[in-house]
Amino acid sequence: MDWLAFSLSLQLAAWTTIVLIPIAVVVARVIAWRRFAAKGFIEALVALPLVLPPTVLGYYMLTVFSKNSLLGGAYQSLFNQSLAFSFEGLLLASLVINIPFAIQPMQRAFEAMPGELREAAWCSGLSRWQTFLRIEFPLAWTGILTAAVLTFAHTLGEFGVVLMVGGNIPGETKTIAIAIYDRVQAFDDRQAATMSALLLMFSFVAIGVIYFVNDRFKQRFH
Amino acid sequence: MQNARSDPSKPARFWLALILPMWVVFAIPVFAADKPLIAVASSLNGVIGPISQGFALHTGQQVRVSFGASGSLTRQIVQGAPFELFLSADKSYVDILIDNGLAATSSEIYATGRLVLFVPDNSPLPGNPALAELPSALEDGRLQRLAIANPEHAPYGRAARDALQFLGLWQTIQGKLLFGENVAQAAQFTTSGADAGIVSLSIAQDLASSGQGTYILLPESWHQPLHHYMVLLSPAGKVARAFYDYLKQSGAQQIFRKFGFSTPTPSQ
Amino acid sequence: MQAKHGLRVHLEQAAPIPLNVSFDCRPGELVALVGPSGSGKSTVLRCIAGLNTPTEGLVACNGDEWLNTDRGLNQPPQKRAIGIVFQSYALFPHLSALENVTVAMQHVASDQRKTRALQLLRTVNLDGLDKRRPHQLSGGQRQRVALARALAREPSALLLDEPFSSVDQATRRKLQRELAGLRGSMAHPIILVTHDVEEACLLADRVCILYRGQSLDIGSPTKILNSPRHKLAANLVGLTNVFRGKIIAHQAERNITLLSWLDYELETRHCSRFAAGSTVDWVIPPQHILLHQRVRPSRGERENPVHGSIDELVVLGEAASVTLMVDDSSDATMTFNLPMHVVQRNQLKVRDNISVSLRTEGIHLMPPGVENG
Repeated sequence: MDWLAFSLSLQLAAWTTIVLIPIAVVVARVIAWRRFAAKGFIEALVALPLVLPPTVLGYYMLTVFSKNSLLGGAYQSLFNQSLAFSFEGLLLASLVINIPFAIQPMQRAFEAMPGELREAAWCSGLSRWQTFLRIEFPLAWTGILTAAVLTFAHTLGEFGVVLMVGGNIPGETKTIAIAIYDRVQAFDDRQAATMSALLLMFSFVAIGVIYFVNDRFKQRFH
Repeated sequence: MQNARSDPSKPARFWLALILPMWVVFAIPVFAADKPLIAVASSLNGVIGPISQGFALHTGQQVRVSFGASGSLTRQIVQGAPFELFLSADKSYVDILIDNGLAATSSEIYATGRLVLFVPDNSPLPGNPALAELPSALEDGRLQRLAIANPEHAPYGRAARDALQFLGLWQTIQGKLLFGENVAQAAQFTTSGADAGIVSLSIAQDLASSGQGTYILLPESWHQPLHHYMVLLSPAGKVARAFYDYLKQSGAQQIFRKFGFSTPTPSQ
Repeated sequence: MQAKHGLRVHLEQAAPIPLNVSFDCRPGELVALVGPSGSGKSTVLRCIAGLNTPTEGLVACNGDEWLNTDRGLNQPPQKRAIGIVFQSYALFPHLSALENVTVAMQHVASDQRKTRALQLLRTVNLDGLDKRRPHQLSGGQRQRVALARALAREPSALLLDEPFSSVDQATRRKLQRELAGLRGSMAHPIILVTHDVEEACLLADRVCILYRGQSLDIGSPTKILNSPRHKLAANLVGLTNVFRGKIIAHQAERNITLLSWLDYELETRHCSRFAAGSTVDWVIPPQHILLHQRVRPSRGERENPVHGSIDELVVLGEAASVTLMVDDSSDATMTFNLPMHVVQRNQLKVRDNISVSLRTEGIHLMPPGVENG
């Protein structure tokens, strides 16, 4: 049981969720409520990581992270370490991969809210921020929770991209999914089985939480 | 334009158009039965092509090749994948197949690999490296990232670990290692951000010829020999056996040497 | 439009929705905005509330300017002292009725909010329902909560966007009565948007007709229903008996004007606005068309008699809608209503020849409109 890899996976999942969710809230709200010409285009962009194989994403990450690229070079000069093969690089890749998991559930939740509710709040004297806190958030929180849990669980299981750009460094980029793969390659079935069972249980609980919460919440208003 | 319904020959043509491709699809295995499936360790990526071409010229027969990490391929064979011959990068995986009763013969060495230290073009390490450079490069921080194959399961990774242990650098270099799933990925890491890598000679030759860097051979005494073993598997047919024999003959052996492998002397 | 107190509205815009509306609403007055869907009445309301911004416009209430495009002033809804009831009520589903109302009480000290809110709910006849959530309330109850919430803000103007359209007829009548009753205690200007002309005339002090963003006419319900400005306005309020005629002459001493129509010479109220010989449109509301009864002839048979045959006879409950083909010519048809007992007593049926009288004071003259109005 590679606890270091498991702890690394948890950290990656936690950081991805913490960073991505607030950004996704803002973006999801805009997409849900503003009418603008490029809306379909933006929605397609958001959905793109869902349909691209991890190898495509991995390839682009490698290109973008390399010292010769704009981003990679800038990072190198700022922090004096390479973006590729680092936890930060993995985090960045993870943020990109999880965009649809974070944005789409929230977007649905915001879209399900009639626009007139916000207008009624404004006309009742609530500022935009108060409207978000007291009206929008309580009505959309299941969407936000779903987004958070999905992002967390999906990052825990992320394999293809990590395999391609991580470098398999223990404590830095060797996540539990990679650890399982290595154990399988080395014919260490016992370890592989233990770690797989743990990951399976974790993911099942996470998904179970989403469905349970969504179910209970739905009952309240009907 | 004739109405489809009124033309009596149309339905027949429709069904024929439907059935014909299906027959072709289902018939393919029949045609392909003479082209056996060979499992080949990915460290032999460049060399197998010319060898199988040579085989085709020599015998008029053809083989189909499937590349992968030795460990993955072994697992697939254990699960029943229809390979007839397995060209591994080491002995342990071949032994697993023999122990599981899946082999038709005992194992044989067909080639031996060599390790090199490869320095990519944009690395802080100097080109045409001297091996003595390594410890100092580590110390003064020029060597931040060294890519090797994963010693947990990749033969070239194990050899790289042996070499680093021999140099007494294994402990100090721990935090700076990048592990590729196999030697090919280690090479890929080397050219896309690592400062240097320990890879196979055949891969290094390939990279150097396309101008991506320079390399130096690591002495064989620094690591366990990288003997590549092969074994015929139970379902092996005539063509597979012919290929097996061909690999041991001088034509194939010459190609191995050209690609940076050393070949067994007749006594081995 | 010089009312210093009350609501002053002027909106002008070419796109995306064309608007050209000007009116004012005095404190305590209820102005209804009426028009078919797409006429822009909801847009006007939203501009007053600050939810939409017109290209050009001015909205001021009790001297406070909320919107002044010339000065670049555009207050958001939060800063405008308005209370608005949406067509769908837009109640917050996760809050109770009481909480829905207190949301609009940001300006009130927190310890006072609950008492005042309960009071308001009592005013709108929702006593005892304060803890219920919107999904536990009927349509009519929800509407009342929405109204209470609008009033909770202590607004300077009350805006109602088709507030009765989503409830059944019986509830609608009840709510209309309640609103009419509440008006006594309200000193704000009230703007009511509705597509129902009847409802507008029931509740409003003045009615403003909107069509494709233009305010066509504004006036008391009586004026709107009996003296429309032109043919289009007449059609929009449901007056279909619009015809083209020609002024023959004015007879000031008899207080009549003679109007030529088809083969008839009609006597109308004296109207010097139109010169003799000029073409006019004229309209007669159905209630001013009287049947010459076969069974019981009345004294008014001499007044503007018109003959023809019944083209259509549609029974609608206790009354019938009769369409008369004048002079058996399908070019001119007149529609009026008769109680069923009159229809039965006179044994009226389609294709019967009948005569009617057009009451002089019912005929209203208008400038001729474009034929396709």
